[in-house]
Amino acid sequence: MAVNRYDKDEELNVKVDFSYFGMLKKYIKPHIKSIVICVITMLVIAFLGLLPPYFLSIVIDKCLPNKDYNLIIILGVVLLVSNLIIWLFQRIKAIVSHKMAMNIIQNVRSDLFKHIQKLPFSFFDSRPHGKILVRVVNYVNAISNLLSNGLFNMITNIFTMFVIVGFMFAMDAKFTLVCLCGIPIFACILLFIKKRHRKAWQKYSAKQSNLNAYIQESISGMKITQSFAREEENAKIFDGLCGESKKHFMKSQYIGVATARIVNIISVATLCLVYYYGVGRVDSGAIQVGMLIAFASYVSRFWDPIIQLTNFYNEIVNVGAYIERIFQMLDEPLVIENLEDAKDLPKIQGNVKFDDVTFSYEENSPIILKNVSFDVKAGESIALVGPTGAGKSTVINILARFYDIQGGKVTIDGNDIRHATLSSLRSQMGIMLQDSFLFSGTIMDNIRYSKLDATDEEIIEASKAVCAHDFIMSFPDGYNTEVTEGGSSLSAGQKQLIAFARTLIADPAILILDEATSSIDTETEMALQKGLERLLQGRTSFIIAHRLSTIKNSSRIMYIANQQIAESGTHEELLQKQGKYYELYQAQYKFLEKM
Amino acid sequence: MWGVFMNALKWLWGYVKKYKISMFSVLIVTALFIVTAFVIPIVTGEIVGYITNENPNKNQSDLFFYIGLMLGGVIFKEILVYTRAMLLENMSQNTIKNIRTNLYGKLQSLDCSYFDKTRKGDIMSRLTMDADTVRIVIASTIPNLIDSLFFICVGFVVMFGTNALLTLLLLSMAPFIAVLAYFLSKYVKRTFVDIRESNAELNTVVAENISGNRVVKAYAREEFEIEKFEKKNKKYSNAHMSYVYTWAKYAPPMIFFVHMTNFIFIFVGGILVINQKISIADFTVFNGCLWCITSPMMAVGDFINQFQQFNASSLKIRHLEEEEPLVKNNNVQKRDTGLTGKIQFKNVTFAYEGDRVLKNINFSANPGDTIAIIGPTGSGKSSLINLLARFYDPTYGTIYLDDVNLKNIDLKTVHQNIASAMQDVFLFSDTIKNNIAYGAPNATYEDVIRVAKLADAHDFISKLEDGYDTMVGERGVGLSGGQRQRISLARALLKNPSILVLDDTTSALDMETEFSIQENLKLAKQTKIIIAHRISSVKNADLILVLNQGNLVEWGTHDELMALDGYYKGVFEHQFGDFTKAPKYHIQHPAFVDLTNAGGEK
Repeated sequence: MAVNRYDKDEELNVKVDFSYFGMLKKYIKPHIKSIVICVITMLVIAFLGLLPPYFLSIVIDKCLPNKDYNLIIILGVVLLVSNLIIWLFQRIKAIVSHKMAMNIIQNVRSDLFKHIQKLPFSFFDSRPHGKILVRVVNYVNAISNLLSNGLFNMITNIFTMFVIVGFMFAMDAKFTLVCLCGIPIFACILLFIKKRHRKAWQKYSAKQSNLNAYIQESISGMKITQSFAREEENAKIFDGLCGESKKHFMKSQYIGVATARIVNIISVATLCLVYYYGVGRVDSGAIQVGMLIAFASYVSRFWDPIIQLTNFYNEIVNVGAYIERIFQMLDEPLVIENLEDAKDLPKIQGNVKFDDVTFSYEENSPIILKNVSFDVKAGESIALVGPTGAGKSTVINILARFYDIQGGKVTIDGNDIRHATLSSLRSQMGIMLQDSFLFSGTIMDNIRYSKLDATDEEIIEASKAVCAHDFIMSFPDGYNTEVTEGGSSLSAGQKQLIAFARTLIADPAILILDEATSSIDTETEMALQKGLERLLQGRTSFIIAHRLSTIKNSSRIMYIANQQIAESGTHEELLQKQGKYYELYQAQYKFLEKM
Repeated sequence: MWGVFMNALKWLWGYVKKYKISMFSVLIVTALFIVTAFVIPIVTGEIVGYITNENPNKNQSDLFFYIGLMLGGVIFKEILVYTRAMLLENMSQNTIKNIRTNLYGKLQSLDCSYFDKTRKGDIMSRLTMDADTVRIVIASTIPNLIDSLFFICVGFVVMFGTNALLTLLLLSMAPFIAVLAYFLSKYVKRTFVDIRESNAELNTVVAENISGNRVVKAYAREEFEIEKFEKKNKKYSNAHMSYVYTWAKYAPPMIFFVHMTNFIFIFVGGILVINQKISIADFTVFNGCLWCITSPMMAVGDFINQFQQFNASSLKIRHLEEEEPLVKNNNVQKRDTGLTGKIQFKNVTFAYEGDRVLKNINFSANPGDTIAIIGPTGSGKSSLINLLARFYDPTYGTIYLDDVNLKNIDLKTVHQNIASAMQDVFLFSDTIKNNIAYGAPNATYEDVIRVAKLADAHDFISKLEDGYDTMVGERGVGLSGGQRQRISLARALLKNPSILVLDDTTSALDMETEFSIQENLKLAKQTKIIIAHRISSVKNADLILVLNQGNLVEWGTHDELMALDGYYKGVFEHQFGDFTKAPKYHIQHPAFVDLTNAGGEK
C-alpha cells in the first residue's frame, strides 16, 4: 500500500534529466526583463572589477616614470566612479534577482500545492507525509539560491571565460593553445568524477529525506513510542539513519572537494607549461618578457571561472535532484478530476440512484461492490450496516466521487456525478468521515470551515444542535479556544462533535455520516439524535454506524455483504425477515443472556 | 549581543571538544597550508627573475627546479586543503549527528505537555535546519574566519613593516566597514527570525493540509486551503525580501569601502610614489599583499550572516536541550520483575491548563480485574488513563501500582507493564507486522499472528494481498477505522503487559467482532481497563466507573449500577431497550439530570 517508508530510498533516474529544468522555463519566462537587468549589472560589475589591475599597470608603466599627475587623477576619479557604480549595481542586482527568485518559487510552490489538492487519497496514504512536506517547503526553498545567485554567476563566469580566451588569442595563439591543453584533461576527469558525484549526492539526498520522514513520524507517534517503551529501539534506528546520512554526505564530499582541488592543480600545471614553453620563446626572442608575465596572469584568471563553474555544477546537481522531485510530484496523475464537459450540479434535491455499480479500489484488487443498484428518494435516511470491510464506506466514497467506479452509473437528481464538477458535487454534501481532523485555529474557525460566511450565531446554533455547545462553553475561552494541531487537546468525542457541527453548518442537501458518532457517548448521542431528527428533515442522509440504536429510526436500512446489498428495508421489516440484520440485532441479546 | 554569541560558542565547544585530535590536526594543516600558500607567488617571482636574468650562462636546471617546486608546492597545498576539508567535514558531520541524537533522545524523554504546546514544524526545523546551520559554522565559517585573521595579521605585519603611512591609510576604511557591519548584524538578525517564523508557518499550513486531505476534499475546501496557503507563501517571500532589502542596504556600501582600498592604493599610493615617499619596490610588495586584507574584509558580510544564523539556531537547539519533562524520572526504583497489575487511585485530582479535568478520584483494582470506565464525552476518561501511564502527573493525590507510588517507579518499567490501545490510532509507515510488533521488535511471525487472531484482525490481514507485509501509511489511512483499531489492539496485546488499557478501542467494530474479541480477552490474565460507550463492552467488568465532568459519580458492578437506577441504567436501557416496542424511548440530556446525586454512597 505504502510505496515508501523511512528506510526506503526514493528511486530516481540515474541520468540527470534536464527536461525537468526545462519545466522551470515557463516559470522563468515572465521574468526576462529582470534577467536582462541582472545580467547587465553583473557584467558591468565583473568588467569594473577587472579595472584595478589594469589601472595599476598603467600607473607603474606610465604615471610613475613620467610623473603624470593628470593621468593618475583621471584614473582615480574613474576608479571612484566605478566603485560607486558597483555599489549601486550590487544593490539593484540583489533586489531584482531575489524578487524574481522569490516570485518564481512562490509560483512553483503555489502550483505544487494546488496540484496536491487534486491528488487522490491513495497518494497521501502511500507515503510518509514528511516526504510530501519537504518537497513543498524545503526543496522549493533550495531553488531560490540557484535562481538569485547561481544562474547569474554562471552567466558572468562563462562571459568572463570567453573574454579572457579572446584576450589570450589576441595576444598569442600558440600560447593560448598550450594553455587550453589543460581543458581536455580537465574534461576527462570531470566526466569520470561527476557521474559518481551526482550519484553520491542523490544518495545523500535520499538518506536525508529518509531521516526527515523518520523525525516527522517520530514526533507524531511519540506517545505510542513512549507508551510502548520503544525509545531505545527508536534511538538505534535514528542513529542508524543519521549515520547513513553522514556516510553518504562524506562520500559525496570526498568526490566533490577533490574536483575543486584537481582543477587547481591543473591550473598551476598549465601555468608551469606556459613558463617552460615561454622561457624558450623569450630566449629565442619570439616574445617579450612583459607579454609572458601578462599571459601568466591570464592563465590563473582563466581557471577561476572554471572552478566557479564546477562549483556551480555541484549546486546544479544538488538542486537538480530537488527540482526533479518537485516536478515529479507535479506530474503525479490526477485520478479523479473534472471531465472536460463537466457542469456544475444544480441545487441538489437529494434523489440518489446507483445503477448497476461495480467497483474495486485498484484494477486487480478484489471487487468490493458488484452490480449494485438502489434508488433513494429525496429526504430518505439510509443506514448502511454490515460486517467490517464489507463496503459500507465504499458506497459513500463512490457517492462523493472520491473514487470512480468501474461499471454502472451513479446519478443525483438524474445527473451522472461523473459529469458534474467536483466542487459543485461535494460542496452540496455534508460528509463526516471517520477521521475527524481539526485544523489549528479556534473552535469557531473549525466549525466555520464548511461555510466561510457563517455568522457566529449560526455556528452557536449548529453547536447546540449537535450538543457541542455545553462543552465548548466549559472552556475558559469558549468558542475562541485554540485547537492545537490535529486537535490533540480535545477528546475524540469532542472532536467528533465539532466535526459534526462543521458538517451541518453548510446546510448540505445530502448528509453522509461515516461512523460519525463512534466516539460519542450514548447519552450525548441520544440528545444528538433528537436534534438531528429536525436537521435531517428534507435532506437525504446516509449513515454508517455500529450502534444499532443510532440507525434504527432510519427510513431504510441496507445490509451490505458479499459485494451486494443483501437486505434492505425498515428496522421492523428486516427484523421480521429474520435475516442477517436480525442476526446482528440478536447478537446484542445473545450477549445480554450471557450475563 | 556579544554575550549571547559567546554562550553559543561555549555551547558549541561542548560538542566539539571531544574532537581535540581533529582540531589539532586542522590547526597544523592550516599552518602548513598558509605557508605553502605563499610558495607560489615567491616561486613565480623567482621564475620571472630567471627569465629577466640576462646572464647567458644561467643554468636551465634552475628553471626545472622552480617549475618542479611550483608543481610540487601546489600539489602539496591541495592535498593539505583536501585533508583539512575532510577533517572539518567529518568533524562537523559527527557534531550534527551528536546534536541530533541528543535532541532525539530529549524528545523521547519529554512528556505530552511539551508536545501539546509545541508545533511539530518547530521541532522538525530544530533537528534539520538548525542542526545544518551548526554544521556550516564548523565546516566553513570558523576555519574561514581563522584563515582571514591569519592573512590579515601576516598582511598587516608585512605592509606595516614596508610602509606605515600607506598601511594606515588603507586601514582608514576599516571603521566604516565596522560601523556598517554592526548595523547589518543588528538588523539582519531580526529578518532571520522572521524568515524562520514564516517558514514554520508555511510548514504548518502545508503539513496540516496533507494530514487533513480527506477533510479538505470532503468539504470541497480546496480553494480556501489555497487561499490560506498563498498568504503564508507570500509572507515567506516577503520575509525573505526584507532580509534582501537589509542586505542590499548595508552590504554593497561595505563592499564599496573594501573597493576603496584599491582606490587609495592606486591613487594615493601612486601620488606618494611620484613624490618619492614610497619606493616602487615597496609599492609592488603592497600590491602583492593587498588581497590579504581586502578578501577578509570582503567576507565580513558573509561571516555576519552565518554567525547570526548560527546564533539563532543554537539558541533554538539549546532551548530544546534545556527542556525538562514535567513528569520526572528521579528517585525511582527499577524493577526487573514485572508489575502484578494492582492499581490504586487515591484522591486523585488533575488540572490541565487550569481546568480541573478529574476531581478526587478513588478506586482500586486487583491483579486480573477488569475495570470499565464509562461517561459522557470529555468527562475525563482518557485523562484518567493518561495519568495511569504517567503521561502526566496528578495535580493532587497519588496513584499506586503494586502499592508503590507511581512517581517512584521507573518510567520505563511503567511503560513496559502498561499497554494501551488508544482512541486515536496512530500507525507507522511500515508493514502491518512491524506495526503490531512495535513494542516487541524481536517478536516472531507466530507471535504476531497469535495476537492478531486474539484481536480478530488475522482474517482481514490475511485477505490483503501482501498479508502481514502490507505497508500501511501514516495514521493508517489506507485501512478502515475498525481495522486500524484491531491492529492497535494486537499491538498492545503483543507487549504482554500486566495492565492492558483499551481506550475506546472497539468503537468502530461491529457487535459480532467486538463480542469475539471480548471472548478472547476473557482468557487474558492482565488487569484490564476498558473505556467504552457501549454497554456491551463494559458489562462484564469487575468494577464499572461512571465519570461525569471529572467526578466519579457511580461505581460498582453491572448489577449494582442497574439497581442504582442512575446514569448507567439510562444508557443501558437506551442501548438494549426493545427497539420494536419502544422507538420513542426518552432519556433526558445530562444537562437536565442532576448527576451529582445520582451516584450511590459506597
